[in-house]
Amino acid sequence: MAVIRTIDLTKRFKDLVAVDHLNLDIEEGEIFGLLGPNGAGKTTTVLMLSTVIKPTGGTAVVGEYDIGKSPDDVRKLIGICFQEPKLLWVSTPWDVLNWHAKVCGLSTQERKKRVKQVLEDVNMWEHRRKNVHGLSGGMRKRVEIAKILIQRPKIAFIDEPTAQIDVVGKHKIWNMIQELREEGTTIILATNELHEADILSDRVGIMHKGKLLICDTPKTLKDSILGGDLVEIRLEKEATQDAFDELKSFHEVVDVVTVKPTNLKVHLNKVEEIVPKIMELFMKRNLPVTSISMSEPSLDDVFVHYTGLTIEEAQRKSP
Amino acid sequence: MKAVLHIIEYDFRNFFRYKWWLAGLISMNLADLLIMAVVYNKIVNPDLFLGQLKSYFNFFAPGVTVLGLFASAFMIGREVNMEVRREIHHYMLSLPITRLELAVGRLLAGGLRGMMYMTPLLLITFLFLGFPSPSQLLIILGALMLLATGISGLSIAAAVSITSFEKFVTARGLIYYVLFFCSSIFYPSSLIRTLGQDGLIPQPIVVLAELNPLSSGADLIRSFLIGTPIFTLEMIRNLAIFSMIFSTTSTLAYVKIIERK
Ligand SMILES: Nc1ncnc2c1ncn2[C@@H]1O[C@H](COP(=O)(O)OP(=O)(O)OP(=O)(O)O)[C@@H](O)[C@H]1O
Ligand SMILES: [Mg+2]
Repeated sequence: MAVIRTIDLTKRFKDLVAVDHLNLDIEEGEIFGLLGPNGAGKTTTVLMLSTVIKPTGGTAVVGEYDIGKSPDDVRKLIGICFQEPKLLWVSTPWDVLNWHAKVCGLSTQERKKRVKQVLEDVNMWEHRRKNVHGLSGGMRKRVEIAKILIQRPKIAFIDEPTAQIDVVGKHKIWNMIQELREEGTTIILATNELHEADILSDRVGIMHKGKLLICDTPKTLKDSILGGDLVEIRLEKEATQDAFDELKSFHEVVDVVTVKPTNLKVHLNKVEEIVPKIMELFMKRNLPVTSISMSEPSLDDVFVHYTGLTIEEAQRKSP
Repeated sequence: MKAVLHIIEYDFRNFFRYKWWLAGLISMNLADLLIMAVVYNKIVNPDLFLGQLKSYFNFFAPGVTVLGLFASAFMIGREVNMEVRREIHHYMLSLPITRLELAVGRLLAGGLRGMMYMTPLLLITFLFLGFPSPSQLLIILGALMLLATGISGLSIAAAVSITSFEKFVTARGLIYYVLFFCSSIFYPSSLIRTLGQDGLIPQPIVVLAELNPLSSGADLIRSFLIGTPIFTLEMIRNLAIFSMIFSTTSTLAYVKIIERK
């Protein structure tokens, strides 16, 4: 059953269409990864679904409530972890979380217990009395995530949970997000990090320029693109155009993606037969191969395929 | 209803984070009172300007009380303005609270903070000028709460309509200036009227001073403590109208505007 359904959801900022007729169903109890390059409209979507900003067109149903008609009811179901931590500007982590828990209706006992537990879980217990101004970016983000872990809403919007957070912290937070889901929370995870979306999400949707390009399970998406195999070739020198063309002309080769001029990703079938031919092709043109590796496509490849951007380009496009 | 209390708690916490600043402000108010009272006592002839008044101090103490109330109730605007600029209001808007509860909470919090800040000033005024009767005290507190809520509303409305901090500060300065000086805080209404009749002050300023809720607030305290001017229901009416206008405007503006930003 869909717990969120958007119907032509649209947001314009003057000339810019940040979210463009978005139609999306999110199932109850799933982790839904909302992917897209910078400026794709992920945060704007999340803000509209959580009734923080109003759509300029279309609508959405969250739980059983229309975001335009019954925003007060929607807000009782949801919790949001903002991309930019929104901490009360003169406060300590403990005060921020305690007040948040109070507003979300937790009893005094429950509140004390959970605030302590979660502060420990996100490794912020010893900093609980520090002024938030004195916290590092990653620490603030931890406090921001703690809000939602304490609240345990029916529907959680989590916007870039691990940006700025160190590797150990990342894994911890991923575990906590999964635990939250196991307790019954539906999670909408907006992220740039494809690896994060891949390991956490049941389904992902890729947004680009405000539109939803594709939406499915990570596995189906990875299988859907091109040939089943992926070969990554690194060359000593830049590949010439005719080498490139000949590579493409093999009928086993489905697509060639230039990651860098000296680094090609080839999607293909029958990898065992074709690799010797590829080696030969480059040797013939005096383009020594420094390494060749085979792998399954990752969500990065899906992303590149559907947005037409390389990851580097996508990151450079940031406004 | 509970939600309104949570919002008030939030705003009170913020208020007390500025305890040093508040202490400084209140000492300045008190210093004002002393210096102005001493200096003015020497340079004005009380018989001439203040009629039956014994000293400028007696006249000015209620004025400073209202001044303090104004400055502190107006502080909420600065915080609301800062929140909008830093997008912290997105957080407030995402909480399980209705928009009305949020707006009313902010409005009342601003007013109550003003009342709290004003309490020591009011007590000092009572100490020097004498305590009012319980019923008079109730009227004074009720009227000042109306005033405080109106000021809080005025500042919130200004804060959300003018997001640029620079413009907000300028607007705040302008509001302060107009409301302080076109009022009976520093000089009695009777004097302003006389000067107006003699053509020494433009008529609009005279009218503004009469309608100014700060005048009504200060004069109301004076009417009970020093007997001049005479208490009139007009004072309460002015305050109630001011309070209603700005409470309503700010509630509407707050909700409408922050949802768009
Ligand atoms: N308040 C605003 N006013 C004007 N334009 C805005 C506003 N908020 C967002 N935008 C624009 O809308 C587009 C979508 O922004 P959004 O923040 O939703 O992207 P995003 O997918 O979350 O990107 P990122 O990965 O960088 O977080 C961007 O082009 C952005 O500049
Ligand atoms: Mg974003």
